[in-house]
Amino acid sequence: MMVGRVLSLCLVLAGTLAVPLGLRALNSALPGAGVRDSYLPTVETPRPREPFDQGSAAAIREAQPEFVIIGDSMAGIRIDPRQLSRQAGTSAAGLYQQGSPPAYWYLVLKNLVVENELRNLRGAIIFFRDDQLTTQIQVSPGVLDRVARDREPELDRILAADKLGTFSFVHRAARNTYQFDRTRLWFEPRFTRWPAEVVEPARPAELVNVINAEVFALDRLRKFESSDLAASTDAALDFAANVEGSLLPEMLRIAAARGIRLAFIRAQRRPLAHGPPPQSIALKKYVDDLQAYLVSKGAYFHDDWGDPDEPLSLYADGDHLTAAGRVLYTERFAARHARFFQ
Amino acid sequence: MIFHSLEFLAFFLITLAVYWRLPLRPQNLLLVIASYVFYGWVHPWWPLLLFATTLIDYWSARRMSEPASGSRLPAPGSRLPAPGSRKKWLWLSIVTNFGLLGFYKYFDFFVDNAAAAAASVGWSVPPLALRLALPAGISFYTFQSMSYTIDVYRGHAPARTRFIDIAAFVSFFPHLVAGPIMRATNLLPQVEHERTFDPAAARDASVLIVWGLFKKLVIADNAGVIANKVFALQQPEFFVLWAGVFAFAIQIYADFSAYTDIARGVAKWYGFDLIKNFARPYLATGPADFWQRWNISLSAWFRDYVFIPLGGSRRGSGRVAANLMITFLASGLWHGASWNYVLWGGYHGALLVITRFAGSVWAPPPQVRRWIRPLQVVVMFVLTCIGWLIFRETELSQLMADLRLTPADSTPLGRSTGLYLFLLVFLYSIPLWIHDLWAELRGPDLVAAVDGPEAAPRWRRVAVQAALGGVMFAAILVLRSQSTLNFIYFAF
Repeated sequence: MMVGRVLSLCLVLAGTLAVPLGLRALNSALPGAGVRDSYLPTVETPRPREPFDQGSAAAIREAQPEFVIIGDSMAGIRIDPRQLSRQAGTSAAGLYQQGSPPAYWYLVLKNLVVENELRNLRGAIIFFRDDQLTTQIQVSPGVLDRVARDREPELDRILAADKLGTFSFVHRAARNTYQFDRTRLWFEPRFTRWPAEVVEPARPAELVNVINAEVFALDRLRKFESSDLAASTDAALDFAANVEGSLLPEMLRIAAARGIRLAFIRAQRRPLAHGPPPQSIALKKYVDDLQAYLVSKGAYFHDDWGDPDEPLSLYADGDHLTAAGRVLYTERFAARHARFFQ
Repeated sequence: MIFHSLEFLAFFLITLAVYWRLPLRPQNLLLVIASYVFYGWVHPWWPLLLFATTLIDYWSARRMSEPASGSRLPAPGSRLPAPGSRKKWLWLSIVTNFGLLGFYKYFDFFVDNAAAAAASVGWSVPPLALRLALPAGISFYTFQSMSYTIDVYRGHAPARTRFIDIAAFVSFFPHLVAGPIMRATNLLPQVEHERTFDPAAARDASVLIVWGLFKKLVIADNAGVIANKVFALQQPEFFVLWAGVFAFAIQIYADFSAYTDIARGVAKWYGFDLIKNFARPYLATGPADFWQRWNISLSAWFRDYVFIPLGGSRRGSGRVAANLMITFLASGLWHGASWNYVLWGGYHGALLVITRFAGSVWAPPPQVRRWIRPLQVVVMFVLTCIGWLIFRETELSQLMADLRLTPADSTPLGRSTGLYLFLLVFLYSIPLWIHDLWAELRGPDLVAAVDGPEAAPRWRRVAVQAALGGVMFAAILVLRSQSTLNFIYFAF
């Protein structure tokens, strides 16, 4: 009797673990064109990827700027590179990607700047918000494809340590055993496409794009939600505990090795009607620690928080400035940071 | 610590390996230590509150049952203290538990509302709100712990002498953070008696755990992402809004019942039976039926400790209506310190009152009842969804705007979006509907039957469980949401 019960338990556990092996068989039957080893082998199984953006690399090489500005829309909505070039008496280029994470900025710095034969380059300016540089470094598959080379061992090491922690070996074993990422990339779009095909049989993909672009456009969200970066929790704001597991040391290292000065600009979040945006004591301490760390490594640091020249009237939605705000910001940026451009 | 993490898996396996090598008393001590580690994993100070609650309730119950002579230990047949004296200790327990709950959960709410009321008559009040983080599960374990002292006061349960047993009862980690709320009369005997490992129960429990993880990671989180998007809109159109409400209805059911399933499965591995907290609530035929199917342990708590002491159904229809409304308003407030939760409680209380009186005027004959049952289920689901809108929308002005929306206001894109989102949520939730319909119409539960021991393994059932477990695990790997959301009821 007891043997039968133990056997039934073992069978159910074995079945639960064995059935997903069928995903491997499914994968081998799926169209395999375009599947390449991931540049993040520890955190992703082989999957189709977009190629590295040789065009952008060539364009920036051709421009040979003295300064590059890197970041997400916070940078793009604040700095007009042509205006900055004119007013700072230099040549600047913007390497922006809306909604991009720090891992993207790291790869831009590494692959489009440091390793891209930019002979005149003197400095790189990186815009960020709050604790972005040391937390929230994980990325969804495919987000980095256009700026990643075939192998990115340092990024793989850092993301794996951050994401998988103590149990990274279990995740790695599960990924290699079941190859579920590859199934997911094939299956999920088809699964979620079905409702669109029912609603709009002729143009299902277009329907999804229109919904995302129009119904859920940034300017249709509530004010709090229209900031696309959630406020940090105080527990995540331990700079000393997070910095070595982040991409920041590696960014500083590759820039220093190439003799490039780095500037880090903390963009101000959306201010209140009559004052700066709320900032917890923990966040203030985090920023102080970040500044001390960057300065000790020879980097330039500036915090826009509480700047009286950036009132609410300069803001459009969320943390974004208006077009007029961009012109003003760029103008003040060139004047305020003149010594960085010298 | 959260269930769907490898940290928890390691914690579970290590604890389990030691647990079944120990005799009863050390087992209980291990459960207490493990539960405190589990609860203090992220916020190490949280267990202090848990310990304070446990200590006060243990002490109050002991004092309630001490003989009037002043002897320290209750002797068999000894006289209990006078009711007034016993009531004093009951009040200590109630005031302490509600004090902790009130301080962490409701202080800011009352202070903010008092300040707003003062401001409306021109008085300026300095800001007093503390903005403290709410310890997870405090609403659950304070209610559970309080039920022990109330049951001891009522003579339904004897006061326990072993502190570790009480500590294990209050802190038992599988259900500590989000229930089900267990009664002393149910869980304490399990704590006090020898437990044996039953591989067949562990087998059923394993499938229940995988089913819970599937519901959480695939259904609830994917539906939750859609609900969050819709409720982030400033001015959603009618169809978009109600698709979002449908998404939230699926999210909250899949999420909360997933926690219960995982909790019951994990507890079963340790030899404990936790009660079912959900019984296919979206197939309820009316408000009374719904509350016998949704968060059953909380409904029973409010019935036994609020509704019945208020007079229950005994004192005339007007008083019954008042008792129902008070009970449901309190239940709403239990869910969160916000007016929308109170409103949600009032809404469900009103539904109960209305259907109760309607039922007393006209009840369909049995032959008609069978045919209108599907209609009743649909109507109740719609009414439940209206309740979820009230529950989910924390801004009252936005709620009023939402309730004023009509289909006529919609654009073609709004209609397409609403249908698309509805179908997407429905697609993710198909296993949930199949499971519930099967259990309701055919029975028994498709995924697991952890309620009764089996004489010998039924191999066909074992094969189905193995296949289902594997398919659900594969689905988790492939379809789990990219955004892992917290269990909703952690916030309560």
